Amino acid sequence: MNSWTALLIVHGLLAVALLGALTHQVLSVWVPARKPAVSFVGRFRAVPGASYANAVVVLYLLTALLGAVIYAEYRISVRTVLQQLEMRSAEGAFELKEHFAAIGLGLLPVYWYYWRQPLAPEHARTRAMLTSILAFTVWFSFLVGHVLNNIRGFGV
Amino acid sequence: MTASFAIVFAVVYAIAYVICVESNYALFTYHPALGEFGLGVQRAKDGPAMYWYGWMATSGIVASAAGGLAMLLPEAAARRLWPASTWIVALAAMVAFCWLLKGFFFR
Repeated sequence: MNSWTALLIVHGLLAVALLGALTHQVLSVWVPARKPAVSFVGRFRAVPGASYANAVVVLYLLTALLGAVIYAEYRISVRTVLQQLEMRSAEGAFELKEHFAAIGLGLLPVYWYYWRQPLAPEHARTRAMLTSILAFTVWFSFLVGHVLNNIRGFGV
Repeated sequence: MTASFAIVFAVVYAIAYVICVESNYALFTYHPALGEFGLGVQRAKDGPAMYWYGWMATSGIVASAAGGLAMLLPEAAARRLWPASTWIVALAAMVAFCWLLKGFFFR
């Protein structure tokens, strides 16, 4: 296993943790549990969303940082292969991933600000939308990265 | 951090990032095959040239400056800043990239 593969695995593991935190938070803001939850889904959405905010910011930054490091190798050894194989959709999906991730980075300060305790009820919609955009970005990035790694991994 | 900074940073960053990508205003270029950084927009040398890091750096600086200025706003003006603009502009930027990159998916 080369070092790029190791970095990619750590990047993926951080992304999984980030996915979990953001998905919990999204459900907790859109469909909060009103009574003590008994089912798995009920407990999943019954978390106090604010307690995830700091972790989301740190995990997003770490995941993006590792992604930025790996990106250089992607440009050399993966993207060229996608171009040679004329896999335009896969190449375009990664382009979208990089832009969505960059936009998500710009949202982190305001996301963190509106998740500060005590939560202002009048900003509930802003919190929900910011969290949803970040969750979509991370889910999209994760799936695109996974598919691209299936097409052409670093270890090949 | 104040609400003014947070709101203005988010809005300006998203707009600046779209402009930076479209007009290629990268603060620096990275040449991954050589492991070299170069100031501003540079042509590809040996292998591809990467501008993504530079676009984010430019956008970050512009947004930080705008956010810093927003912190100087009088309280009455700062209260008029619309928190929803943060996610609306970000969403619009994402839609704009879908449109700009549609050539990858549709011929």
